[in-house]
Amino acid sequence: MHIWLGFAALALIFWGITGVTQKLSTNSISSERSFLWFCWAMVALSAVVLLVARPHQGLATIVLVSSIAGGALNGLGAWTSFRALESGGKASIVISLISLYPLLTVLLAVVILGERLTWMQTTGACVAIAAAILLSLEGTPRPEA
Amino acid sequence: MSTIDRQSPEESRRPAAWLLWSLATIALWGAWGLVSKVASEGVDAYVNQLLYTVGLAPLMVFVAWNVWKRSAKESVEARRRGVFWAFLTGILGGVGNLAFFEALVKGGKASIVAPVTALFPMVTVVLAMLFLKERLGRVQWFGLALAFVAIYLLSI
Repeated sequence: MHIWLGFAALALIFWGITGVTQKLSTNSISSERSFLWFCWAMVALSAVVLLVARPHQGLATIVLVSSIAGGALNGLGAWTSFRALESGGKASIVISLISLYPLLTVLLAVVILGERLTWMQTTGACVAIAAAILLSLEGTPRPEA
Repeated sequence: MSTIDRQSPEESRRPAAWLLWSLATIALWGAWGLVSKVASEGVDAYVNQLLYTVGLAPLMVFVAWNVWKRSAKESVEARRRGVFWAFLTGILGGVGNLAFFEALVKGGKASIVAPVTALFPMVTVVLAMLFLKERLGRVQWFGLALAFVAIYLLSI
């Protein structure tokens, strides 16, 4: 197995758990307050990371800008997803629609970074995106017996 | 006759706000995968996470202002519980970020790592089924099966 796939699976597991903890949070407080405390936790984690990280001078501007932009883009994306839900979009439609975001990453990576995918990888990426959409659809509750 | 639900022709031509916010989310998260790959060419996962938090800071100020302005009426107990889970979400999300950045640093292509990690709802639905006693619909079961197929195809 490729080592990067192991790390990707680890990210998938941790982010998957957040799906449950986030739900438990927004059952009690507003999504904005929940997001704010999510950010505070990121700050706390970064303080711990600072102990092991070795920031060095002379980072290329493109790397520095991309890294900082990453936080801004991901955070703004979370905020706009809340706004989509608050603006009257049905959760089942909004969440399955935004599950399409990897499609854009694939497109940008191929066009801008020149990444090339094999036929098998292309199929896998398409199946993954379809699976993410299906998983985001809420199941119809079964009638009580 | 009530005119509350009636839209003018101009309004009906205008895209719904939720659709625009959803498209903005796709654009922002889609671009995140790209910039993360660019960043991973020059920094390790830890430094990437540090700089990521720097990028998050301005939004934090904005959201804090909004939360302060529209202070919701939540009981102290509910707030304490909600904050606990939100904080845990942030820690787990941050550790997930570190793994995501490491996957890119270790040579994973953005065009593959992004779709793989986007499968995280498969873990959520299984945990929700086990711990929140939620039931999966047929579509979600199918999605779960497809997720395993996708991981297999991408791991070859």
